Amino acid sequence: MISLALPVVLPLLSAFLLPVIARANRTTASLLGPAVAVVNVFFGLLIWQSIAESGPRTEALGGFTAPLGIAFHGDPLAALMVIAISALTFLLWPKGSHDPVREPVLTLLLMAGACGIALSIDLFNLFVFYELVAVASYGLVASQGSGKSYIAALRFLILSATGSAMALLGIALIYSVTGTLNLVALGGMSELLLSGPLGISAFALLLIGFGVKAELFPVNTWVPEVYATTTSRVAGLLCGVISKMALIILLKLLLTAFDNEAARTLLLTVGILSLLTGELAAYRAQDLRRILGFSSIAQLGIVAIAFSIDDTAGVLAGIAVAMHHLLTKPSLFLLAEKWGGRINALRGASSASKSGALLFTFIALSLIGVPPLPGFWAKYLLLSALFDAGEQLHYLAALILLMTTVIEAAYLMRIITRLFEPHAERPPSHARQELIPAMVLGGVLLLSVFIVVPLGEGLSRVAEQTVDQQLAIQTGVITPLAMSNLP
Amino acid sequence: MSMFGSLDPLLSVSLLTVLLMLGLGQHRHAGWLAVAAYLVQLILLGVMGTMLAYSPDKDMAIASGLQIVVMGDTMSWAMTGLGWFFAVVTVGAALFTAWFAAGAWSEGRQGMRLYQVCMSLNVFAMLLLLSSGDLLSLFIGWELVSWASFLIMAQRGGEAVQAAFRYLVYAMSGAVAILAAIILLKVNAGSLSYSAARDYLAGAPTSILWLCIGLFGSGFLIKLAMVPFHLWQARAYSLTPGPAAAFLGAISSRMGLFAIAAVIMTVVGMDRLIELEIPYTFLVARDLWLWLAAITIVVPTFIALKQTDARMLLAWHGIGQSGYMLMGLMLASPMGAAGGLLHVFNYATYQAALFLTVTAVAYRTGTTNLDRLGGLVTRMPLTFVAMLLGIIGLAGLPPMNGFVSKWLVYKSLLAQEMPLLFLAASIGTLGTVLSVYKLIHNTFLGQLRLEHENVREVPWSMVIPMLSLGGIAFITGYMPGLALDLVTIAQQSLGITALDYHLGGVNTDSGSLDMLWVVSIMLIAIGIGALVFLAGNRSKRVHQFDNYAGGHFLSSDMRYHYSHNFYPGLMRVIGPWYRGSIRWLESVLVSITAFSTSLSLGIFRSRFASYYPLFGAVVLLLWVGLP
Repeated sequence: MISLALPVVLPLLSAFLLPVIARANRTTASLLGPAVAVVNVFFGLLIWQSIAESGPRTEALGGFTAPLGIAFHGDPLAALMVIAISALTFLLWPKGSHDPVREPVLTLLLMAGACGIALSIDLFNLFVFYELVAVASYGLVASQGSGKSYIAALRFLILSATGSAMALLGIALIYSVTGTLNLVALGGMSELLLSGPLGISAFALLLIGFGVKAELFPVNTWVPEVYATTTSRVAGLLCGVISKMALIILLKLLLTAFDNEAARTLLLTVGILSLLTGELAAYRAQDLRRILGFSSIAQLGIVAIAFSIDDTAGVLAGIAVAMHHLLTKPSLFLLAEKWGGRINALRGASSASKSGALLFTFIALSLIGVPPLPGFWAKYLLLSALFDAGEQLHYLAALILLMTTVIEAAYLMRIITRLFEPHAERPPSHARQELIPAMVLGGVLLLSVFIVVPLGEGLSRVAEQTVDQQLAIQTGVITPLAMSNLP
Repeated sequence: MSMFGSLDPLLSVSLLTVLLMLGLGQHRHAGWLAVAAYLVQLILLGVMGTMLAYSPDKDMAIASGLQIVVMGDTMSWAMTGLGWFFAVVTVGAALFTAWFAAGAWSEGRQGMRLYQVCMSLNVFAMLLLLSSGDLLSLFIGWELVSWASFLIMAQRGGEAVQAAFRYLVYAMSGAVAILAAIILLKVNAGSLSYSAARDYLAGAPTSILWLCIGLFGSGFLIKLAMVPFHLWQARAYSLTPGPAAAFLGAISSRMGLFAIAAVIMTVVGMDRLIELEIPYTFLVARDLWLWLAAITIVVPTFIALKQTDARMLLAWHGIGQSGYMLMGLMLASPMGAAGGLLHVFNYATYQAALFLTVTAVAYRTGTTNLDRLGGLVTRMPLTFVAMLLGIIGLAGLPPMNGFVSKWLVYKSLLAQEMPLLFLAASIGTLGTVLSVYKLIHNTFLGQLRLEHENVREVPWSMVIPMLSLGGIAFITGYMPGLALDLVTIAQQSLGITALDYHLGGVNTDSGSLDMLWVVSIMLIAIGIGALVFLAGNRSKRVHQFDNYAGGHFLSSDMRYHYSHNFYPGLMRVIGPWYRGSIRWLESVLVSITAFSTSLSLGIFRSRFASYYPLFGAVVLLLWVGLP
C-alpha cells in the first residue's frame, strides 16, 4: 500500500536537489520537474485506487501519533486534488525561463505544499503547508522580472502576510481552548468548546487568513493586479489549484472543528460578497487578464457558497464548481498569454488564431453555464443544493448567482464578439505549440460533456466520503488520546 | 411502421443536417441539400401527424428512445400534438426560407456555410425544445434555441452584433428565471417530470404558485417579446440576413408561446390561473396575461407605423401579432385556443412571405429604406403579388387566412364578454391596416425612382417560395379547415375540446363562418369588376415621365411619390403618446448596473487594500461579538 506522504515528499526532495543537479547537468535538471509532476499524478492515482479498495485511511508519519506526530488522511477528495494539482502543474510547467533553477524549484515547492494541504488533517500542518505555498507563490509572481510584477508581488506579500498572522492568531485561539490541533480530534469537541463566540472568532480569523489565497472578499484585492502582471502559467496555477486548496482547508474546518451554523453563515456571506463584487467588477474591467481575475474571484465565491451548505449536496456542488473552474480558468489564462491588455485590441483575433478563438468561446460558454456543457451541471447542482437548504440567505445566494450569470454572460460574450469581429489589424496569433496545454484542458472539458453521467456518480461518491466524518474518526488513530487531553 | 413510431428518425435527420452543413455548407449546391433535408424532416413530421391524428389517445406523445439519467434526474424527449404542431410550422418555415436562399441569393455570398449551419442548428434546437419530455430537457432545448438564434442574428457583424448582444442579455435573464423556477419545482416536487410538477402545484400554496408563474412567465414572455420585454426583437430580426430573418420572424419567438402552453397552461393549469386572484384587485391571474397580450397588440403595432425601414416595420408587427396568439390561447375556450394556435400557423405563412419579399426587393435595389423605394410594381410584379397576399393576411382581412384566426379570437372575446380586450384588439388591427398600406405603397406603388429604372424581377428560385407562401396563406384562408386539422391535434393534446369546424370554417351557436362562401362571393365580385374594367378599358399605357400633373410636365428630377412622414395628420393626433417609457426603464436598469459595477471595481482599486484584512477581521469579530 502506497504511503500517503509520497506526493509531498517527492517534490520537496527534488526541489532541494534540483540546484545541485542543475550544476552537474542542466538538461536533467530541466526534465526533473515535469517528471516529478508526472510521477506525482501516478502517486495520486495509486492513492485513489488504494482508497477505493480499502476505504479512507489515516497515517501517522514516522509512527508518532498525534498530538505530537504529523497525521495525513487519505480520502477520495485528497486523492482527486493530488491528481489535479500534479497534472495541472505539469501542464503549466514554467517554460524557457532565464534562470534554470529558481522557477522550477518554486513550482515544485508549490506542488508539495498544495499536496500537503490536500492530505493533512492537522491544522498546524495545514498552516505550514499553506505558508510554504504562499512563499513559493510570492517568488513565482516576482519571477517575471518586470517592475510591475515586483510591485504586485510586494503588495501580495503584505496582504498575505497580514492574513497569515491572523490565521496564526486563530490557530492559537483554538489551541488555547482545546489543547489539540488535530481536526478529527477537534471534530469530537467542537460542540462543546468551539461553538461559542471564542470559537467563532477563531474561525473568523482563519477565514480572513486563508481567504487571501482563496480570493475571498475582502482580502482578494491582490488578484487582478497579480494576474495581470505575472505569467499566464503562474496565474493559472494560482487561480487553478492554490485558491482551491485554501478553500479546501476551510471545508475541512467546517466539516470538523466548526460544524456549526455561525461559521457556515460567515463563509456563505463572504462567498456571496465575493461573487457579487467579482462579477460586477469583471463587467466593468477592460483588461482581459483582469477580467479573468475578477471572474475567478466570483467563481471561488461560488465554491465558498457551495461549501457553506450543511449537506452533501453542497459539498458535491462545491467540488463540481471547483473542478470545473480548475479546468477552465487556467486554459483561459493560457489563451490570454498573447491576448493580454485591453479587450478592444482583440478585434480580429479569430482570423489570426481560429482555434484559439473557438477554444475561448467553448470554455466561456461552459463558464456561463450553457447546457449541456459541464459548467451548467455544476451550477445546476449548486442551485438545487441552495434551494434544498432553504434558509433566507441561501435564497439570496441563489438569486445573486442567477443575476450574476447574466452579467457573466454579458462580459464574456463582449470579449467573444470582439474576437470574431473582422478587423484590419490582427492581434498576435498563438503558435500551435503554445495552444497545446489549453487544448488539453479544453479537451478534458469536452470529454466530460459525454461522460457526465459516470462523472456525476463519481463526484457524488467523493462528496459522500468527504462529508462522512464518522468514517474518518473510525479510521483515525488518534482520537482517544486527544479526547483524553480535554481540559 | 415501428421505425416511424419513434421520434428518433426526425431528430437524427435534423442533427445530420447540421453535420452535413458543417461539412459541405460552403459547396455551391449546399442550399439545395438543405432544402432536401428540411423536406425529409417535413415528411417525417407528416407521418407522425397521421399517427397523432388517428390515435384514440389524445394525450399521445411520440417518444424518443433516448433517455439520460444525470445525477438522479431523468431527461427524456417525446413529442406531443402541441409540439408537433409547432414543429410543422418550424420545419415548413425552414423549408421555404431555405428554398429562397438556395439559388441566386446565396451565389457569391460570403459565409454561407456559417449561415447554413446556423439555420439547421436553429431547426434542430427548436425540435429538441418542442419534443422535451420534462422540465430539464425543456430548459436545455430552450437554451440551445437562444444561443442558436444569437448566432444567426450576429452573423452580419457590426450593428447586428450589437442587436444580437442585447437579445442575448434579455434571453439570459429569461433563462435564469426559468432555471430558478425549474429548480424550485424540482426541490419541492422531488422530480423534474411534468406530471410531478403538476401534482405538486395542484396543492401548492399561493405564494409558490405566484413565484412559478412570475419566473416562468417572465422567461417565456421575453422570448415571445411581449411588452415590456419586447425591446430586443425588432432590431435584432431586422439585421438578420434576409431569409433567416423570415425564418426567425415566422417561428422563433413562438417557442415562448409553446412553452407557455406546455408549462403555464398545462403544468400550472388554466384552472389555477382563473382561480388565482390578484391581491387587492378584482382581477385574476389570467387577466394579467390577457392584458399583457392586449397591450402588446396595440403598442408595437403603432410603433411599427412610424418605422421607415421595411424590415423594422415587419419586425415590429411580429411583436404585435404575437399578442393575438397569446390572447387566443389564454382564453382557453375551444374557439379562442383554436384562434390563437391557428394564428401561429397563419402568421408564419404571411410573415415569412413578407420578409422574403422585402429581401427580394433589397436583393435587387440594395435598400429596404421605405423613403428610397417606390413604383417597383412595374419591375417586380410577382414580388408585388406575393407582398399583396402577405399584407392582406397581416392586416387580417378576407380572403386571406389571417382573417379567419383573428375572427376566431374576436368571436371568443365577445362570447366570454370581454369588450375592452375586444376594443384593444380592434385598435391593433386598425394600426396594422394603416402600416401595411404604407409598406406596399412606399415600396411598389407610386413613382419609380430613376436609379431603379433597370431593376428586374428576382429569379424563380426566389419567386416560387414567396408565391408559395402567399398561396398557402390564400388557400388556408379559402379553406381554413385544412389548417384547423393541424390545430386540432395541438388543441386536443392541450386538453381543450376541439372546435366544431369544416373545410370552409366553423359552426357556433353565436354565428358561423364559411370562408368558401365569403371568398367565392368576393372573387365573383372582383371578377365582375375586372370584366367591367377590361370591357370599358380605353386607357393608354404611357411611361411615368411621359405625364403631367397640375398643368406641368413631370420630369425625373421631380419627386411626386409621397413616402416620407406618412400619415402626418394621424401623427399629429397620436404623436404625443409615443413616450418610450420602456426604453427609459431599460436605460435605468443599464445605468444601475453601470453604477454598481464601477462601485465594485472601486473596491479593488483601493490604495489601502493592505488594511482590508484588518477591517475584515474587525467587522467579522464585531459580527461574532455583538449578538
